[in-house]
Amino acid sequence: MTLTATYRLGTRLFWQDRALLLGSVLTPALIAIGLPLLMRHLRPGATGEATAQFQGTLAIILSITAFMNVAVALSARRDQLVLKRLRATTLTDGRILAGQIAATATQTVAVAVVCTVAVNLAAGVPYPANPLLYGAMVIAGSVVLATLGAAYTAAIPRAELAGAACMPVFLLSGIATGAMGPIRQALPSWVGAALDLLPTTAVVDAVRTGAVARPALLLAVWGVAGVVVIRFWFRWEPRRS
Amino acid sequence: MFMTAIRVEALRKNHGRFEAVKGISFEVAAGEVFALLGRNGAGKTTTVEVLAGFLRPDGGSVRVLGLDPSAERAEVRRRTGIMLQEAGFFPDLTVAATVDAWRGFTAAPRPRDEALELAGLAGRAGVRVRQLSGGEKRRLDLALALLGRPDVLFLDEPTTGMDPEGRAATWETVRELARRGTAVLLTTHYLEEAQRLASAMAIMDRGEIVASGGMAETLAARGGRVSFRLPAGVEAADLPLPVTVDGDEAVCRAEDPDLAAQTLLSWAAERGLRLPGLEVRAATLEDLFLDLPTSAR
Ligand SMILES: Nc1ncnc2c1ncn2[C@@H]1O[C@H](COP(=O)(O)OP(=O)(O)O)[C@@H](O)[C@H]1O
Ligand SMILES: [Mg+2]
Repeated sequence: MTLTATYRLGTRLFWQDRALLLGSVLTPALIAIGLPLLMRHLRPGATGEATAQFQGTLAIILSITAFMNVAVALSARRDQLVLKRLRATTLTDGRILAGQIAATATQTVAVAVVCTVAVNLAAGVPYPANPLLYGAMVIAGSVVLATLGAAYTAAIPRAELAGAACMPVFLLSGIATGAMGPIRQALPSWVGAALDLLPTTAVVDAVRTGAVARPALLLAVWGVAGVVVIRFWFRWEPRRS
Repeated sequence: MFMTAIRVEALRKNHGRFEAVKGISFEVAAGEVFALLGRNGAGKTTTVEVLAGFLRPDGGSVRVLGLDPSAERAEVRRRTGIMLQEAGFFPDLTVAATVDAWRGFTAAPRPRDEALELAGLAGRAGVRVRQLSGGEKRRLDLALALLGRPDVLFLDEPTTGMDPEGRAATWETVRELARRGTAVLLTTHYLEEAQRLASAMAIMDRGEIVASGGMAETLAARGGRVSFRLPAGVEAADLPLPVTVDGDEAVCRAEDPDLAAQTLLSWAAERGLRLPGLEVRAATLEDLFLDLPTSAR
């Protein structure tokens, strides 16, 4: 009863909020569809590059639509004492967060699916060779990034800072997969190695190369880390001092 | 039947190094309305939040329906309703959508219309929460607190921001719930509210209880007062009963204010005097409050 209730509420609040839709659905969708499309027009026939670009922008969808979205929504609800009110009901702490994480993950998967279809139609990016792996990685990535977004609120002092606090995560994710252009090649190799450990990179690697074991392990480690941080450091109320 | 719904024993609670509650004890029976009074910062909200399972006690023990609210929060929540002093809503949801969402979080909830009716919000179902007045938000708070038909109700400053009509309606709802056996713990700084609603009370100051008891007994024990304007040419010392004079108003405190009034009036009649503006009243909570040591106000 109650988990679906928080899931439904999270979903409803999301689709009802125009500013949120603009920032966390439209923007990443435009990047994910627009850049491959642009590439196609600049260099007709370069389907491979458009495909690589699109695969890279999955990291942007994950870091904005999943991670930033949850972090902004939860820190706002924390500061407005909405989380406190939710905790005054029979809902357990786990259900409050799980419902929100599941709702955000669903939105992220929906955005990824729409973008996948759109770039196929608009820029000729072929559908994934292994749809099952693609789907599993997008779903797992969405859940893990939404969980990490919830954990990240522990480091966000006030809700107004949530968007800014998520920018580095978004930039790093985009640079790591090449979604922001070939910045990565200019960085020292140890930075590249570190960027390869990001959960967003793991998803993009799996989608690009068909690898399963390493990306799955990375996602699992990040997921557990997120849950541990939430368990010990998640703040349900704003700081008083 | 006397059943203890809330039991607080030597409760201590610190915020960081600050001792907000310093070893208080009280009990609330099923069907009783208990008022926790005291000025701002006395520790009332901290006490309520411990009882509601938001905070763990640092000393002593609390039981709600025989359960430990922080260890057995889920079970306690099923049977309690909480109106926090401060909590947010989703501003873009309507009143109806808010209640519907909260019904989803409640086992065996009241129907939406019944909850809105109880809280006096029946006509406002379609309004967005951001458009409600402060008093109406408080009513929505009450509607949500009542959804689960709780056996124990925590009301932390429930009528703040309400107009007199809303306040009276809320009192009636609370009284009716108590009549049906709900234990109510009320904090308020409206002394009239406490006096009208509560059958027992405790006054807190700086984390300690400085006065407590049954409302009727406590007030009766304080007697009452007779006040009137001192007639021209009459000195306080002339009167048959001791009075205190403030400007031209004389106040006589007495265990039985009716008897005191009769004594004063017959004394005046014998002398052909009148006692203008004569007023007789029983002690109020405000009298009691004002008589406490100044630090406790
Ligand atoms: N989270 C907190 N952190 C630090 N101090 C707090 C916190 N909550 C309450 N206090 C302090 O504890 C005291 C009691 O507060 P409270 O229980 O809210 O009193 P009341 O409800 O009687 O006005 C106040 O001095 C208040 O400033
Ligand atoms: Mg308070």
